[in-house]
Amino acid sequence: MAASAQKTFSKEYVDPVGKSVPRIDGRGIVTGQTKYAFDVSFPNMLVGKMLRSPHPHARIISIDTSKAEKLPGVRAVITARDTHQIKFGSNEYFFPHTVDQMAIEAEKVRYVGDELGAVAAVDEETALEALSLIDVQYEILPAVFDVREAMKPGAPQIHESLNNIAVILPVNFGNPDRALKEADYVREDLFFAPAAHMAALEPHVCVGQWEIFSNKVTLWASSQAPFKCREALAKTLKLDLNDVRVIKMAVGGGFGGKLEMLPMDFAACLLSRKAGGLPVKICCNREEEFLATRRKHGMIYKIKSGVKKDGTLAAITGEVIADGGAYCSYGPTVLAAAIMRIFMLYKIQHFRMTGYRVYTNTPISGAMRGFGGVQAGFAIESHMDMLAEAIGMDPVEFRLKNITTPNMVTINKMVLTTNGLKECIEKAIESCRWYEKRGKQKHLCRGIGIGIAADVMGSKMYKSHESAGSIVKVEEDGSVYLFTGAADTGQGSNTALSQIAAQELGVSYSRIRCKSGDTEITPFDTGSFASRVTFISGNATLLAARDAKNQILAIVAEDLELDIDDLDIKTEEVINTKNKSVLMSFDKALELCYAFHYGKQIIGRGSYNPKTTPIDFRTGEGNVSGSYGFEAQVAEVEVNKETGEVDVLKLWDAHDIGKAINPQSAEGQIEGSLAMGLGYTFMENLRFDNKGRPANGNFANYRIPRSIGTPPIECIMVETNDPNGPFGAKGMGEAALLPTSAAIANAIYDAVGIRLKELPFTPDKIIKALKEKEQIESLSKGA
Amino acid sequence: MLLRPFNFHTPNSLESAVQAYGKLRDVKLQAGGTFLLNSLKTMKRKGVKTPQHIISLAHIPELRGIEDQGDCVVIKSMTNIDEIYDSPLLTGNLGVLRVAARNISSQLIRNMATLGGNLTCRYTWTEMPAVMVASRARMHFVGVDGKEEIVPAEDFFKNAAKTDKIFTHVSIKKDDGISFVYYRAKKSVHVDIPLLSLCVTTRLVKGKFSQTIVAVNNGVAFAQRDRKLEEFLNGKSPGKTLAETALEHLDAAIYDARGTDYKKYMFRVGIKHILRDLTEKHR
Amino acid sequence: MTKLNINKREYQLDLKGHETLLEVLRDNLGLTGTKTACEESECGTCTVVMEGKAVLSCITLAANCVGKEITTIEGLADGEQLHPVQQAFIDHGAVQCGFCIPGMIMSAKALLDKNPEPTLEEIQYGLDGNLCRCACYLKIFDAIRDAGEKMKTLKGS
Repeated sequence: MAASAQKTFSKEYVDPVGKSVPRIDGRGIVTGQTKYAFDVSFPNMLVGKMLRSPHPHARIISIDTSKAEKLPGVRAVITARDTHQIKFGSNEYFFPHTVDQMAIEAEKVRYVGDELGAVAAVDEETALEALSLIDVQYEILPAVFDVREAMKPGAPQIHESLNNIAVILPVNFGNPDRALKEADYVREDLFFAPAAHMAALEPHVCVGQWEIFSNKVTLWASSQAPFKCREALAKTLKLDLNDVRVIKMAVGGGFGGKLEMLPMDFAACLLSRKAGGLPVKICCNREEEFLATRRKHGMIYKIKSGVKKDGTLAAITGEVIADGGAYCSYGPTVLAAAIMRIFMLYKIQHFRMTGYRVYTNTPISGAMRGFGGVQAGFAIESHMDMLAEAIGMDPVEFRLKNITTPNMVTINKMVLTTNGLKECIEKAIESCRWYEKRGKQKHLCRGIGIGIAADVMGSKMYKSHESAGSIVKVEEDGSVYLFTGAADTGQGSNTALSQIAAQELGVSYSRIRCKSGDTEITPFDTGSFASRVTFISGNATLLAARDAKNQILAIVAEDLELDIDDLDIKTEEVINTKNKSVLMSFDKALELCYAFHYGKQIIGRGSYNPKTTPIDFRTGEGNVSGSYGFEAQVAEVEVNKETGEVDVLKLWDAHDIGKAINPQSAEGQIEGSLAMGLGYTFMENLRFDNKGRPANGNFANYRIPRSIGTPPIECIMVETNDPNGPFGAKGMGEAALLPTSAAIANAIYDAVGIRLKELPFTPDKIIKALKEKEQIESLSKGA
Repeated sequence: MLLRPFNFHTPNSLESAVQAYGKLRDVKLQAGGTFLLNSLKTMKRKGVKTPQHIISLAHIPELRGIEDQGDCVVIKSMTNIDEIYDSPLLTGNLGVLRVAARNISSQLIRNMATLGGNLTCRYTWTEMPAVMVASRARMHFVGVDGKEEIVPAEDFFKNAAKTDKIFTHVSIKKDDGISFVYYRAKKSVHVDIPLLSLCVTTRLVKGKFSQTIVAVNNGVAFAQRDRKLEEFLNGKSPGKTLAETALEHLDAAIYDARGTDYKKYMFRVGIKHILRDLTEKHR
Repeated sequence: MTKLNINKREYQLDLKGHETLLEVLRDNLGLTGTKTACEESECGTCTVVMEGKAVLSCITLAANCVGKEITTIEGLADGEQLHPVQQAFIDHGAVQCGFCIPGMIMSAKALLDKNPEPTLEEIQYGLDGNLCRCACYLKIFDAIRDAGEKMKTLKGS
C-alpha cells in the first residue's frame, strides 16, 4: 500500500489569501533558531578581511604581500593579480559603460575603503595583522567630494566619463517652455536631500567555499538578490552559472544595500580557493557597513513648474543632481526613479527634467529603498503644496484635480490599469478629518499635511527580462514544497508566496514549506527590490501551484472518466465544479497519483515575466511595471516653537496594494517604511569628512528611529484588485516612505508657516527658519 | 571583536579592592563597564595601549544599594541608574535624581551603568554630576591607605573629576524645604547624550529664593555653578518676569563655551523653563 | 575554568579571561540566537537577561558573570511551548527580518517580569535600547501588552 496521508494538516488555514496567517518562519525567529549568514560557521573556517584604501583617490603603483603571506596563521592573500580583473556592475545590460567596478581594484582606488586586496587567516587578529603587513605604494591623486565641484571642468577625473557624469537622463515631453509662459503662476524651488544609509541590522556577511577539484563555488550570503550575485560571481570568476551556488540564508534586512555582489563576496570565494578549499567568512563591522557597502544618493533637486489659475498643472521642469559616490551601482535606475515617478501621480503633458548621476570620491551610492523616489517625493510633494498655495487652492483639491486615473497611459507610456489614488486620498482625508484641521490649528502650533506616492512592481533594469520562477512539489503525504527564487529578506515574501501557493492549490497554508533564494535549487528570480516580489514572484508561484493542481486533476479526471475542465480543488477537496459535488479529499487524490499504476510525481512549475518595457534613457519612455500601486499619506504635527522640536501626532497611510495577501504583514511593511521615512525626515544624515569618509558612521552618531518617538499610525488598505496580480495583489514595501518627508514639511508649514527645503528637519533648522520668518514679518510690518 | 588580554580581578570586599588598586600598576576600575568596554574596543581598533589589569567592583556588596540614614540618603557607587530611577527612597529634594536618571541613554545602559561610573568617568557630558552639585552631595572615597576622604561634589568637579581613590558613595541631606527643577535638552532625538542640562535647587525663605544652586552641564567642561545667576536669583521672589530678566544675569561664558548657535539658544530656553517651573511650584 | 549559569544549565568553560559574554555565547556555546549589529552598545541585538535585568552582552565580560543567572533567547521556550512573549510576537506580526527579535524579546521579558501591565510610555522607555529597522515598533508594543496580560493570568493561575 502506498504511503497514504495518515497525517492531518491543520484546517485552520485554508483559503489563506487575505488572512493574517502567522509567518512561516516565525517560530524559528522568536526562539533564536533561525540561521542568518551572520551565524554560519564551519569547522576550520577562516576569517577573511578586505584590504581597503586609506586614500580617497590614488593610483596603485605596487602591492607587496610577501610579509603578509609569511605571517603564521595566514592561509591566503589575494590582490588583483590573482583575479581575471573583470569589471562588474548593476546596470550592465542597458548601460555597459557603467560597468566600472572591479572586485579587487588593479589600477586605481576611488574612495577611502575601496578594496584592493584581501586576506584569509585562522582568526581575526591574524587577518588584521596580515593586512597591516601588506605594503602598498600609492600615487595620491586629487580627490573631489562635492557633487557640484565634481561636475566642473578641471575636477579630478574619477572614471572615464566627462565631468564625472556617469549617466545623463534627459526627459522631455511636449513644449514646457511655451506652457510655462502660458501659465498663470510659475515658481522654482531647490531641495536638498542628504545621503543616508540603509542601516540594516545584520551587516553584510558571507561565507565562500571553493570545491577545488570540481571547480565549483558556494557562497552563503545575506542577499536580496542571490541570482544577481551568482551572475556577477560567475562573470568575474569565469565560471558557468551552474558551478556557482549562492545560498541566501535568512536575511537581517537589506533595504537595497544587499542587492548586488560586493567585492567581499568575490573575495570570500577566491580566498577559499587559494586556501585550498577551506571556507572563508567575511563580515563587515558597523564601521565598514557605513564606509564600504552602499548608501543612499544625496540629491539636489531643482523644480520649476507652472500652474493655471484653475489649478491645472501646466508644465514641470527641473534638474536632479545625484551624488553617486565612487562607482555606479544602481545609479541609472535611481536617477530614473527620481524623475519618472511623477508620471504615475500627475497628468502632465509638458515636462523637461534632466538628471545627472555624478561620481565623487565617497562611499558608493546604491539603491536604497525607494530608489530615488524618496528624495524626489520630498521635492515634488513639497513643491505641489507651494503651487497650490500660490493659486489659493487647498492642497488636496489641487492634487485631486491633477492626479492620474485608472486605465490611462501616461505621457511616457506607463500603462496604469487599476489606480486607487483618488480613493486613497479621499480615505486618508476622511480618516484624518482634514477639513476640520487644515489651517485651523495654528494657535496650537499644529498642522496637517499630505503627500502622495506611487509604487512600481519591478523594473527591467539589469536584464532584458525580469522573470521569476517557482516550483511547487507535492509529496506523497500531502505536504508541499514551494521552491521560489524570490528572496525573503524579512518582508515576509516566503509567507505571502506560501499563501498564494496554498490558495491556488486549494489546500491549507500549514501544508506548505518554502525554500527560497538558493540558486542551485530554486528557479531564477531577479531579487527583492522595487516591491516586485508579491506581484512577479507571486504570479510565478500561482502558475506553479496551478500546474501542480492540474497534474493532480488530470489523474483524477482519467480515473473517474471526467472532463478535467469540470474539476477543481477547493478547501482541501476535489470538487466537480458543474454540480458542486465533492469527489474526494485532496489526500485521497494524492494517494491516487502515487498509486502503482499512475505513480505520478506532482511537480508544478511556473514562470512569469511581466509585459513591461525598460525605461529608454534617450526618451524617458517605458512601461516599467506590470501594475502600479498608489498611496496617500497624511501627517499631523505639533511644532514646539521654543525648542524647534516637532512632535508627529499621527500618520495616516491609505495604500492601494491591489489586495493584501497577508494584511498584518502588509501593515507591518507600511509601518516600517513610514519609520524609515520619519528617520530620513528628522534624524538621518550621512555626512562625510574631508577625506570623503563617513563622519558619523556608527549608530552613536547616525541615529535611526527608536521606540520612543514612534507616532500612532493608521493604515488604510484600498483594494483595487488588480487584474494582473496574483489574486488581485500588487506589490508594496517602498511607497510608504516616499511622501513622508513632504507630508511632514507640508504639515509644518500648516502649523507655523515655515517651509523647509533641506532634510533632515533638525530642531536648529526649525528655530533658524522661525527666526527668519519673524524677521521678515517685522521688516514688512515696519515698511 | 576579541579584546586585548588583561588580568581580571574580582574582589568581593572593598578592602581587597582597595588593596589591589594600591598594589597594581597600569590598572583600571570597572564599574558598570558601559564606558570601559567600549573604550577597550576603540583603543584596540586604534592601536592604543590597553590596561594590563582590570578590577571589577561588581562583586562588592558594600558598594551596592540606597539607604535612608535618617537625615541623609546614601547612594552607593555601584548602584545602577535604573535602580536610582526605581528607588522609593528618593523623594522630596532627592527626586531630582530620579528625573535625571530617567533619560540617561537607553534602558539597557541604565540597567548596567552605575552612579559611580557616571560621576568618575571624566566625560564632561554625563548627567549626574550637575545633579550632585545642585544637591550639595558629598562624595566619599577610600584611598589606598584605607582612609576615607569626603569631597563636596562641587569641589570634585572643579578639580576635573580627578581622583586616585575608589569612590564608594554619595550622601545627600534630606531637605523638604528645597525644591528642584531639572531641564535637559536633546540634540534631535530622545535617546542620545544630552545637548545640555541644567539642575537648579533652591529654597523659599520669606517668599524669596535663597541658597540657590544653578548647576550646568554644558558638555564642554565639568559640571559647574553659574554663580552670577545664583546671585541674581537669591533674594528675588518667584514671578513671571523673572525668567526674562534672569537672562541678563548669566555667566555667559558657561553657556557659550564652544557651542552651536542652537545650543546657546537652548540654554536660554532652559533657564526660562526652569524659572517658569519654579514660579509654578511656589504659586 | 569559568563556571557560567546559562539557561538554567551550568557550563564549565576554559576561557581566556577577556572574552565578552556575547563571544562566549555565540562562539564557545553555539548559542547564535543572540546577535550583534554594532558591537558598541547602541543596537540592543545582543541583549540577554542577567539576574532579571536586560543587559548588553557585547559590553559584559564573561568572567564577570560567575554566579549570575543568565537567560538567552534559547532559554525561553518550555519544550515545544513558546513563552507568552514569543507567541505574542508571532501573533501580532511583530516579526519581520527577525534580527532584532531575540534582543527585543529579552528586553520585553525583563520588562514584563517586573511589571506585567506597563503603560505605553513604560514600554517605550523599556525598549529604547533595542533598534528595529524593519518595523516601527507599534506591533511590538501590541505584542508586549498582550504578553503581559497572558503572563499575569499565568501567574495568577
